[in-house]
Amino acid sequence: MKTMSLIVATALLVGAAPAALAQDSDSAKVSVTGQVAKLCVLGTPSNAVIDLGQMVDTSGARVGKRAAIGNKSVTLPGSFCNFANSVVTVNATALTADDATPAQSGFARAVNFTATASNWASTNAVATTTVDRQGAGAATTGSGSVQSLPKLADIGLTLSGYDVPGDLLLVSGGYTGSVTVTLAPEAVPAP
Amino acid sequence: MIRKSSLALALALLGSTAAQAQTETAASNTASRAFQVTGNVPVICAGGALSGGDSTFALGVLVNTTTGLLRTDLSAPDKVLTGAFCSALSTISVAATRMTAQNVTTAAPAGFSNSVDFTATASGWTTTPASVNTAASTNPAATQSRTTPFSGNITVGLSNFATTGGTTLRPVADTSYLGSVTVTLTAAN
Repeated sequence: MKTMSLIVATALLVGAAPAALAQDSDSAKVSVTGQVAKLCVLGTPSNAVIDLGQMVDTSGARVGKRAAIGNKSVTLPGSFCNFANSVVTVNATALTADDATPAQSGFARAVNFTATASNWASTNAVATTTVDRQGAGAATTGSGSVQSLPKLADIGLTLSGYDVPGDLLLVSGGYTGSVTVTLAPEAVPAP
Repeated sequence: MIRKSSLALALALLGSTAAQAQTETAASNTASRAFQVTGNVPVICAGGALSGGDSTFALGVLVNTTTGLLRTDLSAPDKVLTGAFCSALSTISVAATRMTAQNVTTAAPAGFSNSVDFTATASGWTTTPASVNTAASTNPAATQSRTTPFSGNITVGLSNFATTGGTTLRPVADTSYLGSVTVTLTAAN
């Protein structure tokens, strides 16, 4: 019986404890977190293909040789990187004749050019191709300076400075080259 | 049975979420866009510039002044077309008209002729030169083809002079005998 009373007393004590801690108000702080990934996005270009058209003079002193080809521009509107220290890079591959037959003596089957990506940082990205008259040579890459802030801008891509190796006659037919514009974080040298 | 269905639904939702997440991560800290650059060069043939000061083969006096027959040593310096080219495969054709007396318009009397035939040859463009003989009824060698673009000089020469009608005939006297040679480059598409 004595034992039984002890148990009941303990139960009462436990039951009384919450009443002793009650108060008028309370608060709790809950943290809300999120994250934003680093993004670079290039806007949809005004043209997907840059067509230089007919590239040689058809009469006069330079008949058959490179004509005065005007600069060609494409805009990538609304391009952005949402973080600091990004770089725009341009990679250019010279125009070469679709017909892979080696060019005869006196002819070239390649047209070099300069590709410039502008309006991103203080220094534009510039790449000038340097293939030989047979179109042999690697693609050329050039990077602009580092953009130290997140940026939203219309990036311009301009082709200019067309040059035929040796100023030779160009074989007839279609010609194809390419330019790739890349927005990316500044390359960090390996430690 | 119901529990099994629920599990399947849960897995399906999970799959969908994963796929969505993958799509969203397609945009990254690097963006690249490639542009094709195109251009074209039409087929062009140019005959080049004729060297030698003028465009006339001047043969001088055509006959042996002793016999009255056509000289057997007639010749004229070759003409060269420099800087000729075709930017595609091509054919070269040479055409010629015999030299005829320009002032004597009546038919030549018996024993005489009022014209002189010759062979014109255009070489340097094809392995086999294009040649034409004004006395021949057909000239299959007058057109030659090459299967590559070419840039070079074309040498045009005259040879095989012969009195029309036979070597025993004598050319009638005239201050001007005139013929012509035409070289044509044609791109073959």
